[in-house]
Amino acid sequence: MYTNPKPCKHLADYKLRHGLSGYNLLQEQIRTTPSGKSSVKNHQTEIPRCCFCNGYQKRLYLCLICSSISCSSHTLLHSQCENGHDIAVDIERSELYCVLCCDQVYDPDFDKIVMLKHLMDLPRSGNGVDVSAGRRSSKRRRLCSALELDLKKTKQLVSMRDLRAKSCYPLGLRGLNNLGSTCFMNSVLQALLHAPPFRNYFLTGQRNHEVCRKRSSDRLCLLCDIYVFFSAVFSGDRTPYSPAQLLYSWWQHSANLASYEQQDAHEFFISVLDGIHENGVKARNTGECHCVAHRVFSGQLRSDVTCMSCGYTSTTYDPFMDISLNLDTGNCPSTDLANKSLKPSDNTYVSTLLGCLDLFTKPEKLGSDQKFFCENCQERQDSVKQMSIKRLPLVLCLHIKRFEHFPVRRMSRKIDRYMQFPFCLDMNPYLSSSVVRNRFGNRMFAFEGDELDTSTEFEIFAVVTHSGTLDSGHYVTYLHLKDQWYKCDDAWITAVEEEVVRASQCYMLFYAQKMLYYKANEDLVCQPVSPRADPFLPIAGCC
Amino acid sequence: MSAKRSSINRPPTPDVDRDRENQEPTLQEIINIKMIESGEKERLKELLRERLIECGWRDEMKSLCRAYTRKKGRNNVTVDDLVHVITPKGRASVPDPVKAELLQRIRSFLASTAT
Repeated sequence: MYTNPKPCKHLADYKLRHGLSGYNLLQEQIRTTPSGKSSVKNHQTEIPRCCFCNGYQKRLYLCLICSSISCSSHTLLHSQCENGHDIAVDIERSELYCVLCCDQVYDPDFDKIVMLKHLMDLPRSGNGVDVSAGRRSSKRRRLCSALELDLKKTKQLVSMRDLRAKSCYPLGLRGLNNLGSTCFMNSVLQALLHAPPFRNYFLTGQRNHEVCRKRSSDRLCLLCDIYVFFSAVFSGDRTPYSPAQLLYSWWQHSANLASYEQQDAHEFFISVLDGIHENGVKARNTGECHCVAHRVFSGQLRSDVTCMSCGYTSTTYDPFMDISLNLDTGNCPSTDLANKSLKPSDNTYVSTLLGCLDLFTKPEKLGSDQKFFCENCQERQDSVKQMSIKRLPLVLCLHIKRFEHFPVRRMSRKIDRYMQFPFCLDMNPYLSSSVVRNRFGNRMFAFEGDELDTSTEFEIFAVVTHSGTLDSGHYVTYLHLKDQWYKCDDAWITAVEEEVVRASQCYMLFYAQKMLYYKANEDLVCQPVSPRADPFLPIAGCC
Repeated sequence: MSAKRSSINRPPTPDVDRDRENQEPTLQEIINIKMIESGEKERLKELLRERLIECGWRDEMKSLCRAYTRKKGRNNVTVDDLVHVITPKGRASVPDPVKAELLQRIRSFLASTAT
């Protein structure tokens, strides 16, 4: 998070001498707009002019002490004429300005006054800003839940150090045989194998499959099958494994996807998580689900729809297991074809993950056919919608929408456009607290959900890439373990340089909260090469 | 011959070029006043803001500011510096369609309030 900037000497002097009286008087003159802007207006400033040159075209500043208006060229003059009149406010923007420092200055007390004016002006119960600091208890519960999935327990599992081994590879690295166009499944499984809290859950025996009721009655249990799968992969055996049981088990759950046709990896991912949720312990009806899938992957999205007339904001919260992002192409969304973008044409603009996330959280004007019924205005109005992330999950899965549908021509196309992605990701700018704060000019004010103790920093641990067309393509996963990247191409696992990963065409990105990632890597003890087979020459699979 | 008193340590008040009261408001000023009074100026400003965000101009200016701040060092830059550096670039890079649209709006406003 940021720290409040220190006031300059002049602002500090002003505060000592005048306290909040100047701010309070100013509050009545602040005019707010539904879009979150605020400016200073009273009968004198209706047509504001500089008291020295009568100009009205430059930035104008209102002296906090005597309310005289000067333009940017003459603020210094005013300060020289009147001793101590050093602090002014930018009329257009409601921002504090120190004349002697020639710079904008910041004061939380001032921002509070401005925000309170916003809250007074916006319709009550529907302004998108909640100052209450509730919900501490649920936060604590979530943290405890995360700690349960802590890696400390896994340390007990780590063993078997063969002193004769010269080379060693991280635990849990094992090729997966392709059972008939199942690379979509293998690629996602590799990512799940190394999602820190997910992995810990299965490896620390929290899934006690011996007492599983389903298995004892000879029914299929997806969770048990996943447990068996984890045990097999982390056993130390390097020969490629065939996840046939798991495939069969999954088919039972997602009958509609049961075939040998190529499937979509993202669809499989969602389906598996859904299967885990269904198979898991029935959680209480209200509150958060405590199945491992939700504990690891679920977060919460916030959607704000703001009426452009009065500023009334309708806020809804929805859970998510992953976030699907549209590629940012640098094209301006304006429907007017004449409005050319400043950015160069498609050929040179590089899509980035941050660009996609910016696009996801960008305010979007709802079309005239989607007019929102404003509770305050009691009629349909033009409105703006904005998404943000209310709560981040432990593991964040970002899905890049690489397909275009053309309903008229009834065809779909894959978008091969390259997208650059970082290995370290700070999600702070996309949180609801940041997005809402931004709406009001980044004021220093305690907005709801300013979760200062939860980390927003993530580290990448898996990338699922796709090559080929929509109908026939191939999935490959890159895993980031202990500072080394590994390419997992079905049964073949090879160490690769990070440049290879950066240049790949990503489809699903898996990020883990930084602390969890580093802890997980500490405990991935190297496993010596099995004397039976060289891991780089796996038994040929049926690919 | 008597020494001038320098009892007040402040520069003399600036000379105003022309007497304010007798000055005829220029056409530009009249238009400005009319636009503010009718609220049209605020609407045009909102429209301009919207267009400049849509076409990426604001993001472009943001990255110019960031680059300048990085070069000079975060603590060596003031808002005034940024305004001075950015203003010419900003003015020069407003897309023509945006200018055209705003001018058209102003023209139609003038036509509607012609006395």
